Amino acid sequence: MTCISAGIDVGSGAVKVAVMRSDRDGNETVIAKESARIRRREVAKVVDEVFEAATAAADQDEIHYIATTGEGSEFPQATGHFYGMTTHARGALYLAPAARAVLDVGALHTRAVAMDERGRVIDYKMTSQCASGSGQFLENIARYLGVSHDEIGALSIEATKPEKVSSICAVLAETDVINMVSRGITTQDILRGVHESMADRFVRLLRSLQFDGPAFVSGGLASDVGLLGALRDGLAKKAAAGTGTIEVVTHGDAIFAGAIGAALCGGFRYRKLGQASVAWDAAGAAVASPAAGVR
Amino acid sequence: MSCVVGIDLGSTTTKAVILDENREVLGRGITNSRSNYDLAAAVAKTEAFINARFGLIEQQLGTTKTVAMVSRLRRAFVMEQILQQLRRLEQLMIEETDRSAPAQLKAPLKTAIEEICKRITHEEEQRFKQPPMLRSDFFRDAAGSAFMRIAEQIAEPTGASFDRLVGIYDKCIIRVENEPLDLDFRDHIGDALRRVGNPEGLVEAVEYAVAKDLAPSYTVGTGYGRARLPFPKEQIRSEILCHGLGAHAMFPGTRTVLDIGGQDTKAIQVDQQGIVTNFQMNDRCAAGCGRYLGYIADEMNLGLHELGPLAEQSTRCVKINSTCTVFAGAELRERLGLGEKREDILAGLHRAIVIRAMSLLARSGGVDDEFTFTGGVAKNPAAVRAIRDLIKENYGERTLNISPDSIYTGALGAALFASRIAA
Repeated sequence: MTCISAGIDVGSGAVKVAVMRSDRDGNETVIAKESARIRRREVAKVVDEVFEAATAAADQDEIHYIATTGEGSEFPQATGHFYGMTTHARGALYLAPAARAVLDVGALHTRAVAMDERGRVIDYKMTSQCASGSGQFLENIARYLGVSHDEIGALSIEATKPEKVSSICAVLAETDVINMVSRGITTQDILRGVHESMADRFVRLLRSLQFDGPAFVSGGLASDVGLLGALRDGLAKKAAAGTGTIEVVTHGDAIFAGAIGAALCGGFRYRKLGQASVAWDAAGAAVASPAAGVR
Repeated sequence: MSCVVGIDLGSTTTKAVILDENREVLGRGITNSRSNYDLAAAVAKTEAFINARFGLIEQQLGTTKTVAMVSRLRRAFVMEQILQQLRRLEQLMIEETDRSAPAQLKAPLKTAIEEICKRITHEEEQRFKQPPMLRSDFFRDAAGSAFMRIAEQIAEPTGASFDRLVGIYDKCIIRVENEPLDLDFRDHIGDALRRVGNPEGLVEAVEYAVAKDLAPSYTVGTGYGRARLPFPKEQIRSEILCHGLGAHAMFPGTRTVLDIGGQDTKAIQVDQQGIVTNFQMNDRCAAGCGRYLGYIADEMNLGLHELGPLAEQSTRCVKINSTCTVFAGAELRERLGLGEKREDILAGLHRAIVIRAMSLLARSGGVDDEFTFTGGVAKNPAAVRAIRDLIKENYGERTLNISPDSIYTGALGAALFASRIAA
């Protein structure tokens, strides 16, 4: 039985949708993926838009299961909702089968999840109720420097003398940056400094978990080579101190990890329900069903 | 005429106050802070001297009817300054497009930029013809909001991408702000005078004001960026001292001062002479500072000055759960999505920042009579209402002093220190 499922991942910064085909033999393919930044628009509208674009691109007669994750529990057409932790783990495993941990760097929160070889969540840690070191924080700083989103990484790796950001607060760090500019510090060195202070937090987050394998970076910042570099350097420094090493991996579609994971979880649940021949027609029944044993 | 200058280099705005020999305020000037601190200080000082010269014009004319004439001249002057900066901004944006945009996008982007600047110019000229409306004094805010609004309308039809236009604007506005432009009294007063039609009497008064010699004998700097001002050490005072003294000068009965500035909040206790006896300060977290409201204003695409009046329309104050500024911004969007009213959420956000300030006041020794509220946030009616309510709840009746010039408290204190040294 082949299942077409869609995963909708609503983050605080962007909406991501993936449409996947999966069957009982474990063949899983992404057939469409779309994303859009929310900016200051109404979330529900952005979700509708992205979902429409993705399903149009997928061009399927029927979508058997629509799974939401993240903050997207309100989507009316959804069949079911999965926790962000679960979907990111599942999506990460799809994109990088060797991964045993996910570092999901979002606009406001960062979380680290340790998982087993089947993508089951073993443990997790999240950043606290303060936006210090978040994606939004980096974006604010880049905006002040007049650097566009996709230039950040390339500039950061050109740094020669990284300047540490001393302020803890994400909002006041902007002022720190103004200070740095006035002291003649280059954009490259400032961005690298911001990356390093973010990486410090992520290293602590990752090292607080027990897992055996590479850590997969997901979320919008996974494509930021500057952040990845700073993270690898931060982990290497710890490894040099003799405390074990953690390999960092990612994927071009890492921003879709949550959406892909949700689609896969949805597809799995759909087939499971089909096997158990559970009669269901409403989202509520499917979610409440004991057969829905997907983690 | 000899005078002294106090400069308060804050994180958001830079203020300058000029005092004459009798320690009377001659002029006040303000500008937004920027990475070039020397320039921010110089612009604030220039603005203060412009303000002083307009004061001289008023003094020279002196009747109610002419006050309206001078204020029209003043508006014409400000418009000339804005138009000059806009011309420079346009020039820089065109250059930036030539330098960095992909070849096929150069033409549509340039067309869009020229059209946007043309429309902003037109809007400015129309605005001048209409009765004055409240808005931010700074070029960055005036140009920025107009640019975004017009760019959104014309980006699609002209084939220029909105994101690219914003990117180019972001790069160039910083450059405009960080290069010295001719924005002084002499540079634009002639054009401004012509724009109001060279009315009789005014021309002579302007000539008098232009010719008047205003020579600062001493300058003292304070504020968050004081260490980077191009002054020798003895010409720098801490912002705590300056705020205490400034508040005392404005309201001699002051015993407790609360200053909610851009990026720090200070609770200060002073004695009868305006000398600081105790203080508490928060400068590690934006929650509870003016920047908190600034961030919220950005999130809502509103001007900072629009927040308070909007929150005043609230009928039911929402309790905000987040402490962190960025999270409060997210909570705001979430609550808006859930259909809660903008003004009710805003009322909650104002209360949240004031609650943070109250704990600072408690730690500094409470609120004594009289209580003086200073800093940019004291201009915000919703914040003032919240603080009035909370002080009454916690400390009973207190006299609450707020000067319309409260944003200049630190600069006034610095100028007073300067006059003491000069004397």
